[in-house]
Amino acid sequence: MDWFKGVFPDLVTPFTKEDEIDEQAFRELIRFVLPHVDGIVPNGTTGEFSFLTFEEKQRVIEICIDEVRGRIPVLAGTGCPSTRETLELTKWAKDAGANGALVCAPYFLKPAFNEIYDHYKEIDQVGLPLVLYNIPQTAGVHYQWWTAEGMGLAFDNVIGISDSSGDMPFFMAVLEKLRGTIAIFCGHDEIAGAALLVGGDGVILASANIIPNIWQEIYRAAKRGDAAFVQRRHKEIQILIRLVARKGGPQATKEGVRMMGLKMSNVRFPMIQGGEFEREDYEDMRTQLCNLGKIPKVKKRYAGIEVDYMATSETPEQLENLTLCVGEGFAGPPFSEIAHIDLLLGWKDGPVGKAIERALGEPRPGHELAIIRERPRTMLVPTVTVRGAKAKQLVYEDAVSGVNLAIDHAINEGTLPSALLDDLCMITNLFVHPAAGIRQRVKINNYKAMRGAIRKAIEGRPTLEELVREKEAARHPFRYAP
Amino acid sequence: MRPAKENPMTEKVFRPTGINPALVTPFDKEENIDEEAFRRLIRFCLPHVDGLVPCGTTGEFPYLKPQENRRLVEIALEEAKGKPVIAGTGAESTKKAIELTCNAKEAGATACLIVTPYFLHPSDKGIYQHYYEIAKAVDIPIILYNIPQVMDAYLPRRVIEDLADIPNIVGLKDSSGNLTYTMEVLEYVGDRINVLVGNDEVVLNALAGGVHGVILASAQVYPEVWQGVVAALKAGDLEKARQLQRGVQKLSRIFCRLGGGVAVKQALKMMGVDAGIPRKPLKAVGGALIHEDRAEIQLELEKLGKIPSSDREHHVPDGPVAERFKSLGLDSQTIAAARMKCGSAMSGEGFEAIQIDLVCGSKESPLGEVWAYQLTYPHHGFEALTTILEPNLTVRPSTLIVSTNELKDLRQANMIYGPVQNAVAKAIVEKLAEGVIHERAMHHDVMIVQAAVHPKALDRHALHKNAFQASLSAINNAFGEVK
Repeated sequence: MDWFKGVFPDLVTPFTKEDEIDEQAFRELIRFVLPHVDGIVPNGTTGEFSFLTFEEKQRVIEICIDEVRGRIPVLAGTGCPSTRETLELTKWAKDAGANGALVCAPYFLKPAFNEIYDHYKEIDQVGLPLVLYNIPQTAGVHYQWWTAEGMGLAFDNVIGISDSSGDMPFFMAVLEKLRGTIAIFCGHDEIAGAALLVGGDGVILASANIIPNIWQEIYRAAKRGDAAFVQRRHKEIQILIRLVARKGGPQATKEGVRMMGLKMSNVRFPMIQGGEFEREDYEDMRTQLCNLGKIPKVKKRYAGIEVDYMATSETPEQLENLTLCVGEGFAGPPFSEIAHIDLLLGWKDGPVGKAIERALGEPRPGHELAIIRERPRTMLVPTVTVRGAKAKQLVYEDAVSGVNLAIDHAINEGTLPSALLDDLCMITNLFVHPAAGIRQRVKINNYKAMRGAIRKAIEGRPTLEELVREKEAARHPFRYAP
Repeated sequence: MRPAKENPMTEKVFRPTGINPALVTPFDKEENIDEEAFRRLIRFCLPHVDGLVPCGTTGEFPYLKPQENRRLVEIALEEAKGKPVIAGTGAESTKKAIELTCNAKEAGATACLIVTPYFLHPSDKGIYQHYYEIAKAVDIPIILYNIPQVMDAYLPRRVIEDLADIPNIVGLKDSSGNLTYTMEVLEYVGDRINVLVGNDEVVLNALAGGVHGVILASAQVYPEVWQGVVAALKAGDLEKARQLQRGVQKLSRIFCRLGGGVAVKQALKMMGVDAGIPRKPLKAVGGALIHEDRAEIQLELEKLGKIPSSDREHHVPDGPVAERFKSLGLDSQTIAAARMKCGSAMSGEGFEAIQIDLVCGSKESPLGEVWAYQLTYPHHGFEALTTILEPNLTVRPSTLIVSTNELKDLRQANMIYGPVQNAVAKAIVEKLAEGVIHERAMHHDVMIVQAAVHPKALDRHALHKNAFQASLSAINNAFGEVK
């Protein structure tokens, strides 16, 4: 089947406030990815297919078919726990005009391999081109390569397999057995470039909702054998795709799409915002998208002047009151090297400036204060007593270099406008765990914590809405006994 | 390999039973074995136990040289006053395991405890052959040892079934804590060899299920508790046995999951039995056993009456609320002049009772300066914390929590950082949602909360509940219950 190759985004499914399918936002997303992709996948894992009713899955497929109008193929996710329901949906998708069906292994109850084989055999008989879909992380079933091989060789309508396991030895075995017989797709963002370079025919990816153009560049480079390009471009997106692959796929993808200005809801319960995709990941993703030029600078009113600001939909229209802005940032892992920062930001002649000058005149044995830069004037306060040379190095060298990096980044992002650097000052109260050891992680975690703290101080986040939404589910890690 | 005698495997009368501590190996500052400390440790626990187990997992056996292993066995035998000594003699290779087992036999050990071969993972056939070769080479009672937590593999039940037919294989220690495995093993070999539980968390369960004895890390810390469990079960007093097990549940969990021998050494040290430090790469504290958990051990030992409970002053501020913030540099005139809001409330009973005093005012008022200054002034024991629902979810109006009692250790700090912090945060958001705190205050005001928590507070759940109630009332109190 010659259409099954290239880049296929595993589309997220937007919902309205009433928790219905948000058709308008979905169409907007399809139009956003369409110029860059070779096909689309509705009702994939990232599309939260397991949270959709039968009718909703039908609607999602319909919208896709209607929106692309034959310009690119629609590979519809039709996998369900039982054979009976999978058959019903696949037949329906065939009649509706889908180009193929992507069917994950029957999940929850754990059928034996011969039961899985027979499951697919029945689906194959529907007559719609069939793509086998291996995703053991969620399905709980990992095909053995001989299961895949057997199905790929024996079934009439199997046109490909998509492997999201990230298990490279498995991928290589499938490639060895089936290359040229059916298309071999990689569904794991973090290794997609490598999979294409060793001979994969295409990718079905969550992150292709966010950066479809970059994946298309990588795919084309791999096809013409330009490994150097693939390596360089992959490195630029590696942090972003690691976040998507490991930190709650659907929500991570939706956050990324929304940050770039598209209308996009959160995931359905029981997945929640600030859950698997944590708030620190949000800040991380924002930075990655800034670096990739996906969040352009806009004009913002900021303490009486106009500045260029890499704003997201969460950034308030005006940033006015800088008397005393408080931001908090936490970043890990690992546990010993976690960073926690309480940040105060304000005018030099306001309460923050006064506190700095007053504190500098007083001794702080064990908590030696340090002015770590002048633009903006920034004072470091170690939260816990600094004991010994190692702790001193971790706090005053490694953590400080991370903090300074974050401040540089904030200036570049527009969060700390150059024009105000002489008038602003900051107090950064910083926690380094007594058991910390890895210097690089202390630096990076403090960079991340500070980066988040600055943005949150300036933008007044979290908002009331966020706080109210999360107050019940919030899990303070130290609230519980060991 | 030493030449094996022609089928020396003889039926041994020894069957491991009773309470046996898996002894830690005390090391001095240079990481040499501290023999005197080891002797003191044995003398400390010997009266309450039925046998001794040197060089087990708790004894850091993989870090010991063969001659050190032998020396520890010798000392244990000298100190054991005739009680059985079960020497840990497991190793990666069959050859080394035989060498260690020979040494132990020569030293006079009663039996040997031998783990499944580790690092490289042999097949079931390889595991069988390992034990078979050792049993054939050394004429000593052998106890098999299943500990998947460190081996990353189970000793398969089907292999045990066959091994149990070898005359000098007399027992199995199961540290997995997996009761379905324990019951399965008992079902198949319980009539041929003795099964001992090696997981402190499920001692009662395993004994009630029919195991024949225990080898435990905690049997050198509170052996008399395990004696009590055995006695209660024998007397048919299940309720009593449950009480005893439950009383040490958390400590047992810490020993099992958070550092094993390292945690046991810390507990012993607190009880006045110096068992030295672990060998590197293990850290005495700050590695698998973090500082917070060490503080928790102290608390639990206090509860058990193993160490005296430290008496600490508990100060609850009284008098008019506006007079209670003087230590922060805020007097009642300033509070009145700037029209700050004050509120106070108390909730709960006993050690988990808490009083919350709060003051709220504009960022532009003197409270703004006091607030900012507090963050520059982390004086030991009174560190101010911002109020968060969880990390990265800070509440507004920005709120500092300050303890009214000096926080003398991490475990005390942990009662505030965590339970109280989350409770205050939740109360603030609740009152914002109700409109008691006006949304405008989120960006214009700041707040300071003084929390009076008893230094002996133990129960995080109760403290959280009380802190939440007290905070709700204090906020109502300060802002008026107008909706």
